[in-house]
Amino acid sequence: MVKKFLLPIIVVMSWVIAEDAYERHCVPCHAPLPTSLQRMFMNYLLVYGGEHNFKAALKHYLRYPSKDISVMPDLFIDNFGIKEKSTLSDKELDEAIDIYWNKFKVFNKLK
Amino acid sequence: MLVLKNKVTSSLLKSEKKSLSRFLVLYTAMVILMIMLLSVFYYQSQEKLMLAQERAILSKYAYIQTKRLKVLHHFFDEKTTYPRDPRFRSAIYDNEFAKIFSLIEEKNIYFDREIYIAGNMIHFIETLDNYYLGARYLVIEVDNDTGWKTELWKRIFGYGSVIFIFFMLFGFYLAKLFLKPMRDSIVLLDRFIKDTTHELNAPLAAILANIEMMDMDVMAEKNKKRLARINIAAKTVSTLYQDLTYLTLEHERRNEDELVEIKPLLEDRIEYFNVWIQSKKLECLMDMEDVALVIDKRKVTRVIDNLISNAIKYNQRGGTIGIELREGMLVVWDTGIGIEKEKIPFMFDRYMRFDESEGGFGIGLSIVKKILDEYHISIEVESEIKKGTRIIIKW
Repeated sequence: MVKKFLLPIIVVMSWVIAEDAYERHCVPCHAPLPTSLQRMFMNYLLVYGGEHNFKAALKHYLRYPSKDISVMPDLFIDNFGIKEKSTLSDKELDEAIDIYWNKFKVFNKLK
Repeated sequence: MLVLKNKVTSSLLKSEKKSLSRFLVLYTAMVILMIMLLSVFYYQSQEKLMLAQERAILSKYAYIQTKRLKVLHHFFDEKTTYPRDPRFRSAIYDNEFAKIFSLIEEKNIYFDREIYIAGNMIHFIETLDNYYLGARYLVIEVDNDTGWKTELWKRIFGYGSVIFIFFMLFGFYLAKLFLKPMRDSIVLLDRFIKDTTHELNAPLAAILANIEMMDMDVMAEKNKKRLARINIAAKTVSTLYQDLTYLTLEHERRNEDELVEIKPLLEDRIEYFNVWIQSKKLECLMDMEDVALVIDKRKVTRVIDNLISNAIKYNQRGGTIGIELREGMLVVWDTGIGIEKEKIPFMFDRYMRFDESEGGFGIGLSIVKKILDEYHISIEVESEIKKGTRIIIKW
């Protein structure tokens, strides 16, 4: 009887503990889209370059999404539209963006 | 007269050489500085020319590398190998100057310049319009072929030497041109001083000889005093005459060194100045040993005369003059006005006089120093204001 409830509880708890802000708030919404998060990262990088610019631009877009400042092609926006304003707190947003940057940054990946 | 003329010429040449060498040193320094500046400008212009030629090639390399970065950017999820080229090395930096990836050897990059030489390399900085892989700056590095530099140095030294020789010849001609009026005026002045000095000798010798010959016994006391004053005045002028003669003629004469007994010489010179010593009521203390020195007698006489005459001249009435002679040392001291400590180092300078109340040109001690330096003899001065001065000569 104990064994029957204990296993699912342990699985759910470990999922909750392991999940970070990026996984929680970004991945679920982007998963159905045809463009990967890495592709979007490279689009941002192409326009904004350095880490500071990149993070500031991304944060601004997440707070105030607009077609004019989007780095995605018009065809993509026409098909999938503009995302809704983020309701995350500054702390959560910064944390998610930091994880996103560290996950896909080019530094130390070239050989 | 012929001898005098030769001495005039040689004296002139000496002073002329001094001025000429000073001018030439300054002129040479200026010419070298000018050639160095020209060389720097020429070097910089040639370097710029070389870099301009290199810029075209490096710009082409940058264009090729940018295209490769563009491809890598779009396929970054599949491929992460940085594009390499055997013709050049490259590196990419983001807009915060953080290094994204680098193959270049030189670590210091100057992002504010477009092209520059860094050690043995040439760096070309391309600012990218699209930040492929997040890169804003693409640095292209190639080895700097130093052949142009060797050729350039050869040219600089070659042309530099020709210009230097030309300017030196011109400078020499210029110096002679400028020195001519100076030479003429020096000849005139020198001849005037020598002739005047020469003309002083005969009357001065006549005055001194006649004073010696005068019969003092039949003379009234008042006249004796007057005669003594004439004697002192004549001897003062005589000492000055000797100094001027030494300055204008004697120092160019070859030394006639001989073994000179210093003690009898000192006694003789004290005797010579005796009338002056008596007139100032000075007490003369002499403590002398028999000492001999290999020296030119005329020169050592100039030294002794100047030291004794100074000891008399700057002494107070009723004071004391002391002369101590030991092996390797002569001390002349007085109880005169003394000299301030800070002025002691300057008292051997020519025309330097600290007490205007007494006569003289301020050349005596400069002659003393000159003679002693010539014989490598040291001179020390100890002095205290209103107490006196000790001059110690050691050999």
